[in-house]
Amino acid sequence: MTKVSMTVNGKAVSGEVEGRTLLATFLREGLGLTGTHVGCDTSQCGACVVHVNGQAIKSCTAFAADLDGAKVTTIEGMANPDGSLGTVQQAFQDHHGLQCGFCTPGMVMSAAALLAENPKPTEAEVRHHLEGNICRCTGYHNIVKAVLAASGQDVGQIAAE
Amino acid sequence: MSLYRPQALDRALAFLGEGPAAVVAGGTDVFPALGLRPAPARVLDLSAVEGLRGIARAGDGWRIGAATTWTDVVRADLPPLFDALKQAARQVGSVQIQNTGTVAGNICNASPAADGVPVLIAMEAEVELASHHGTRRMPLCDFITGPRKTDLREGEIVTALHLPHRDGARSAFGKLGSRTYLVISIVSAAVILWTEGRIVSGARVAVGAASPVPMRLPDVEAALVGRALSDLPGAVLANHLAALTPIDDVRATAAYRREAALVMIRRALEGLGQ
Repeated sequence: MTKVSMTVNGKAVSGEVEGRTLLATFLREGLGLTGTHVGCDTSQCGACVVHVNGQAIKSCTAFAADLDGAKVTTIEGMANPDGSLGTVQQAFQDHHGLQCGFCTPGMVMSAAALLAENPKPTEAEVRHHLEGNICRCTGYHNIVKAVLAASGQDVGQIAAE
Repeated sequence: MSLYRPQALDRALAFLGEGPAAVVAGGTDVFPALGLRPAPARVLDLSAVEGLRGIARAGDGWRIGAATTWTDVVRADLPPLFDALKQAARQVGSVQIQNTGTVAGNICNASPAADGVPVLIAMEAEVELASHHGTRRMPLCDFITGPRKTDLREGEIVTALHLPHRDGARSAFGKLGSRTYLVISIVSAAVILWTEGRIVSGARVAVGAASPVPMRLPDVEAALVGRALSDLPGAVLANHLAALTPIDDVRATAAYRREAALVMIRRALEGLGQ
């Protein structure tokens, strides 16, 4: 067992992990942050996306012990300090950017990483960026709409589905 | 499982000298391949080793550090010689994979369908290897010896790739898959050209996923030299691709791969001729 300390959603946390413990497992089982979902365990579906030191990664493909000292943001860190939904989350709610909701945490984290780098993406850029996130309900249209709305762009022209 | 993440290369090499270990950098190929099997007893993570990351001029050519991620490649300020590598970088896995997956990892994983490998073979990359016994260099096309097989020796790691510089070279990469991202290529093609005026004076063309190891096609290259840039796609004929040995599998038939390889080379040439 190795001791690992990191900053998760602005709070200093630490825990004992095995060398093989994945970041997704540490977040969910070690810290009880079950908002990060594990869909495929093979780095394809993107439900487990979190930010590590500002970059979106798949947390099923990272050892927790490797991330000693890292700054991690999960879906739980996306709400406003008063507990209300953050901008991206609110846009997903407003534009019905979810159906079953399983992929949603990863979608929100990937979208937030895009907007941090590219505050006014085109629809094509949003679709390109979200290629690493799979929605098995195929609700992509409203997800893309939500991301564009979160960037402050007018989505009135995009028909609802 | 014991995990070791040193900051100094000599510490990493010493750890490997003490016994076999799985070597990871981004881990994007290693983790999914494990499936439900137990993790390896010893794992060496190279992602914190200093001096292993980044792309820079080195002597007459370029050096790509082994732990350089695909996102690093996309963001680096590089001449058009690297356009093909950047296009490949944008198509590896997905953005999250590109943020952690590395150039050297793509090579060591040695998939016949690796997106980076045909580009790097066309660029005539050499692999820099180190162990606690010393260092050596060898051409990438010799380093990958078969599907999932390399000439990496016990105790050895890839530390960098070296590429020759070519003044004024232009390059392009294309990949055919059932979708653009998160997909294993049916076939891919990389082209590098350099010219005198509008006439091609040198060409390097490599195809991926149509032979056990991505390979250069000297007959295609010869057919391009001496041609005008605007006149390239028609210069490449099916018989120039005879050296390819594609297989039938779940993604495509061999005959389809052969045809698609020709189309992908021509598409890359169309873009470069403009």
